Amino acid sequence: MRALLVTAAGLAALAAAQPSAQVTYERIANSEREPQNWITYSGNYQSHRFSPLTEITRANVAKLKPAWVYQVRRTGIVETSPIVADGVMYITEPPSTVTALDAHTGRPLWTYTPAIPTDVIVIGSPPVNRGVAILGDTVFFGTVHGHLIALDAKSGAVRWDTVVDDNKLGHYLTNAPLALADRIIVGVSGAEAGIRGFLDAYDPKSGKRVWRTYTVPTPGEPGAQTWGGESWKNGGGSSWLTGSYDPALNLVYWGTGNPGPDWNGDVRPGDNLYTCSLLALSPVDGRIKWHFQFTPHDVHDWDSNEIPILFDATVNGRARKLVAMANRNAFYYVLDRETGEFLSGTPYAKQTWAEGLDAKGRPRLKPGTDPSLEGTLVFPNIQGASNWPSPSFSPATKLFYQPAREMGTYYYKGESKYKAGEPFVAGGGRAVNGDEAWGAVRAIEAATGKMKWEFKLLSPPWSGLLSTAGGLVFGGTEEGNFFALDAENGTPLWDLQLGGAVKANPIAFGVDGKEYIAIAAGYAIFVFGL
Amino acid sequence: MILPLVLALTVQSAPASGRAIQEGKKLFDGMCARCHGIDGTGDEGPALNRATLARAASDDALRDVIRDGIPERGMPRVRRLSDGELAQLVAYVRSLGRAGGPPARGDAERGRAVYARLGCASCHIVEGQGSSFGPDLTEIGIQRGAGYLKQSVIGPGETLPRGLSQVPGRGFAEYLPVQIVTSDGRTIRGVRINEDPFTIQLRDTNNQFHSYRKSELKQLEKEFGKSVMPGFRGRVTDTELDDLVAYLSTLRGVK
Repeated sequence: MRALLVTAAGLAALAAAQPSAQVTYERIANSEREPQNWITYSGNYQSHRFSPLTEITRANVAKLKPAWVYQVRRTGIVETSPIVADGVMYITEPPSTVTALDAHTGRPLWTYTPAIPTDVIVIGSPPVNRGVAILGDTVFFGTVHGHLIALDAKSGAVRWDTVVDDNKLGHYLTNAPLALADRIIVGVSGAEAGIRGFLDAYDPKSGKRVWRTYTVPTPGEPGAQTWGGESWKNGGGSSWLTGSYDPALNLVYWGTGNPGPDWNGDVRPGDNLYTCSLLALSPVDGRIKWHFQFTPHDVHDWDSNEIPILFDATVNGRARKLVAMANRNAFYYVLDRETGEFLSGTPYAKQTWAEGLDAKGRPRLKPGTDPSLEGTLVFPNIQGASNWPSPSFSPATKLFYQPAREMGTYYYKGESKYKAGEPFVAGGGRAVNGDEAWGAVRAIEAATGKMKWEFKLLSPPWSGLLSTAGGLVFGGTEEGNFFALDAENGTPLWDLQLGGAVKANPIAFGVDGKEYIAIAAGYAIFVFGL
Repeated sequence: MILPLVLALTVQSAPASGRAIQEGKKLFDGMCARCHGIDGTGDEGPALNRATLARAASDDALRDVIRDGIPERGMPRVRRLSDGELAQLVAYVRSLGRAGGPPARGDAERGRAVYARLGCASCHIVEGQGSSFGPDLTEIGIQRGAGYLKQSVIGPGETLPRGLSQVPGRGFAEYLPVQIVTSDGRTIRGVRINEDPFTIQLRDTNNQFHSYRKSELKQLEKEFGKSVMPGFRGRVTDTELDDLVAYLSTLRGVK
């Protein structure tokens, strides 16, 4: 293991050494060497959302207090996960604004808002944005009107503005792009409008598309036999959350979403590849090296876009390169990330739809769990046992920290006729919410799926988690609490009411040799330090 | 445990009557239910099974919201519908907010006297008059149907309100009785006002606010299935009950 513990003095030296350096691919690939920066969506390419900073610890976290607060310019749900590079924080504001802040004070340095048409089509989620990517001296982000835009990191000036796909058909972007050596990878939303999903790669300099890999095959391609009739044309399979990358294997890992329409699978008989799957792709040409489908022929809207976390461990006596995902369908999966081989799948939240998984990881379905005209009660609920809020993996504890959602839904089946740019969902649900639903932070042994501890939450959470080398796990609640737990046993050590629901992912960064934790809540970004 | 029963106790929606409402339901289930929930019970989007909609006071306003969407809140515009289909969808959404069930059959004037005799005003406000420990009943005739009201009078613990208030939040039981024991050994009974994983706020039976960190309490018991309101089962005649419900059904806002 690399030396992950960095002293405050060392941190200051690092900060001084790179005051205005460009954020190169090499820096991102070795992000643990500069823990004062948070230069890719999940902190590193392995998506650990783990900070090696050690100033804030179990012993002193009780003294944590606000350092600064930044209020966003217009109301909306703030789901941003900040990027911090060399003293500048880059955030996104709803729906598609990028703002650069002085990381010392929260004072804005520049802000950019594209012209979003008033008739923009956003079907399937609120009009949100989860963050930017940075590479060189350029910041990249997606918009609700379906553009990928590159901005000068110093001024916010537009370097290029590329239409990913037609918003009139329901394509829109909420995910932070993933910046690799010479590729900007970005996914798309829109399955609820009946798009045919894809994952794209763009040239960082020109904005020209290098490749597109559709997540739903056309007739004649592998997997096409898993779609009845012409259902593939509106088959969904969005790619709406940021994936992970293994530099050594040179593979990108990216989850795919639900098939369309969501709750009536009669019109799309078959497994509906590659929806609700994890894809391992070459960043060079976008070719799919392997795929693993978590929920074949999904009829509950259980996208598999959740963050895939990469780590290495010994499984059954053999050293393995692994990828793990706490899937929306309530199973925690461990796969071999070189081959896609299924190694284990364990429920991490209440589920009532599967007897279990077979030797290849395919669910053995319980009868009577499909949506129906009269409503079918199934756990997890429509938004799933997990969703976009990020899990965290600590190399120190080897635990996978998951914000788990305990909630059921009565699933109803309806009918939808496809019409371009309009809802294509065919049903819905009646949530079992309030006192009958709850949530938890769960610590799962990453290699085995065994639960080690949990910290209960009043409501199913929409906040991601951050773990740190200070032995802490940070998270938030729907009721507006931001809190720190002991990473070893889940004991609550600090909490503060922020006055608005936390629907974002925390990060850690450093300026002037001090460690800070940042989280969005309500209509603001909060930064805490000792 | 999660009880399907709970759903039956939430605000009931009117039974679909008429072809327009039935057709509207089909459109709703195909396009709207993902966010607003089947029967408009709310999910990612707000619940629509209420008498007044914040952004759609009139049918015309509701039509505009459907046609133009609320982009900043994530509600897409729907332009595919013909005027006739739009009218069906509006009719269905409106039907969700109507207090369902058969109309009250008692005498409202006599019911007003029953309300006074039972001392309901010691806990409820109607048109500004009364005490605030229990729910404000000024608009209860719009918000609740006769069947629900009757049940609330005879067995209030089985029908704790949900969705009447923005606090404590979507789907949580309102006026949930709680009993706590403080670190210094005092026992306080009241109703939950709000809660998060770390704290709880309540009003005691003297209508005084209290706030505690849960970690500092010796005991916190939530009394699901109970109410601090006395049940009147067996304490009023059937006629008095019908009259009281008839009176409550006439409460439709400040006149």
